[in-house]
Amino acid sequence: KDEPWLVPRPPEPQRKPIKVPAMHEDLFKPSGNRERDKASFLNAVRSFGAHNVRKRGHVDFIYLALRKMPEFGVERDLSVYNLLLDVFPKEVFRPRNVIQRIFVHYPRQQECGVAVLEQMERHGVMPSAETEFLLIQIFGRKSYPMLKFLRMKLWFTRFKNINPYPVPRDLPQDPLDLAKLGLRHMEPDLSAKVTVYQMSLPSDSTGMEDPTQPHIVGIQSPDQQAALARHNPSRPVFVEGPFPLWLRNKCVYYHILRADLPPPEEEKVEEIPEEWELYYPQKLDLEYSRSGWDDYEFDVDEVTEGPVFAMCMAGAHDQATLIKWIQGLQETNPTLAQIPVVFRLARSTGELLTTSRLEGQSPPHSPPKGPEEDDETIQAEQQQGQS
Amino acid sequence: PPFVGNHCVDYSSSSLQKKVTSVDRASQQGKTEEGLQGHDHKEVALDAPSPDRTPEVSFDKAIRDEAIEHFRRLKDEIVAHLRGPDGRPLQEVIMEQARVVWQFREKEDLDKWIVTSDKTIGGRSEIFLKMSKNNRSALLYGTLSSEPPQDGDSRQSGYCAMISRIPRGAFERKLSYDWSQFNTLYLRVRGDGRPWMVNIRQDTEFIQRKNQMYSYFMFTRGGPYWQEVKIPFSKFFFSNQGRVRDVQGPLVLDKISSIGFTLSDKVDGPFFLEIDFIGVFTDPAHTEEFAYENSPVLNPRLFR
Repeated sequence: KDEPWLVPRPPEPQRKPIKVPAMHEDLFKPSGNRERDKASFLNAVRSFGAHNVRKRGHVDFIYLALRKMPEFGVERDLSVYNLLLDVFPKEVFRPRNVIQRIFVHYPRQQECGVAVLEQMERHGVMPSAETEFLLIQIFGRKSYPMLKFLRMKLWFTRFKNINPYPVPRDLPQDPLDLAKLGLRHMEPDLSAKVTVYQMSLPSDSTGMEDPTQPHIVGIQSPDQQAALARHNPSRPVFVEGPFPLWLRNKCVYYHILRADLPPPEEEKVEEIPEEWELYYPQKLDLEYSRSGWDDYEFDVDEVTEGPVFAMCMAGAHDQATLIKWIQGLQETNPTLAQIPVVFRLARSTGELLTTSRLEGQSPPHSPPKGPEEDDETIQAEQQQGQS
Repeated sequence: PPFVGNHCVDYSSSSLQKKVTSVDRASQQGKTEEGLQGHDHKEVALDAPSPDRTPEVSFDKAIRDEAIEHFRRLKDEIVAHLRGPDGRPLQEVIMEQARVVWQFREKEDLDKWIVTSDKTIGGRSEIFLKMSKNNRSALLYGTLSSEPPQDGDSRQSGYCAMISRIPRGAFERKLSYDWSQFNTLYLRVRGDGRPWMVNIRQDTEFIQRKNQMYSYFMFTRGGPYWQEVKIPFSKFFFSNQGRVRDVQGPLVLDKISSIGFTLSDKVDGPFFLEIDFIGVFTDPAHTEEFAYENSPVLNPRLFR
């Protein structure tokens, strides 16, 4: 009870500005059973113009509309921003002489115009010629909103295509398509193949929320298949995860199939087959030596990690689901049936994700850590035996 | 006796400070960019035969040891300067095409960096820096939160940053990196798909320029594979206090003070970024001097 008394109360006049948006708040309330969509938003904006011919309080209304935009889902619609700028009265805020141009003419209105453009910039909306025309008509050419518009037009075109790994603006809602997009986004090899091992089957009782069998999507490149075929069957492979991947503002999780580094004596040099054509030899043994001016290599110890054989995204992160992924992988990787599979899974919490991330970089020749892994190995071997 | 008592109190406080420093070193959080680089004071013995000689001996000895240490550093710098630039032969420096500036192989490599987030100004983001499990790369992880601090003024917030410390020489003189003969920044990273901002700060003595930096974006791919990011220095644009300036000019590479990575993409949630090493190299195929020409509409004075 003492805490409310210790906090100093705001003075009485500060409460008045809070009530001002309430005057226009009614315009944005859904009437009847209408949903919050673009049509109702446009209707609210037009209602303000109809009720207020002189547009008194338009700055507060525009600020309120900017706050309401994400609720109505129109924050990335250019025509809505132009309509908001159209709420400003025309030809009133333009400076008419040099003295008005020197000082900020109508500063609150210019700040509001800059706020509209700022929200456009934050959501990546490119202004158009109509926006420019509206700004010239409202504020004039030499004004801060016009300056902001020019900067946006200049730098948006420069930064439009600089992402080498573009993510679509609207992510697919289907978990299967989202998994395919994520796997394709992560895989640097373009010849890798995305395989759907299992579709999600909804349960009859609980609907889509709790599918009886989750979806499993995997990706593997031909090089990874060849590397897995050459893997020593006596050394285990590990299924690790889940690891996070951010696609815009959505976080998805993936698992990897990897192995430890082979010991140095097992690193056999791949033999080149016999020469089949004398005019085009498969191996050239040139002795061109590199000089100091031609050395583009960084003098640094390379990070040596075990190879990654495959990646997958599944609707669930438990071992039973990942076992189905391994069984699906065996169709294209027959040697996987003879290799023991060890599952190193972490709980899906933020703290353990880092630990599992660190787990992914275990040093070479790491011994098994405890009885849990032994049990998992035994279970995996039993599963292999059953399959 | 009271004099001896005060002396003991001073020593205990210094030891406590050292413990606090060692504890803070694990998280490496701090707002100041400048700091001592692994500078440790030698402990002076407390047991002395007579109390009236203890403060004089310890104080003078500490001062003398500090001065000797700095003079030894100065001697090393002079010897290195006589040998060649950066202590290497001139021929090797002239023909160098790639150079590793920062790498993460030991615990001491993390002391060259400062991590900061908007928790220092009242936000809720947090960031940590440590070595990865195989001691081959640095792991930068934490949580980003775009909730603004409740100070009545902030409307937007949410950033996590990692900045390299300014290199220091003898007598705490400011040094800088000279990357004049290179044209591309090289980073070997492994992220989680989030976009980062790479900032390069120049060495300047003016107070008004302390917020000026050159920035560009680093888009991480995500996934278990390492990613090689090559950013030409011509792509860095000039910004001041986070705003892109109207007058743009190329980045001058002879006095680079520090480099930084900032995450502020307005997406709340955990993040991680692994960094293997950071280097600079010369790309013979890249001949662009500056990517952003000035606009006559925004800068009419430059075109008169």
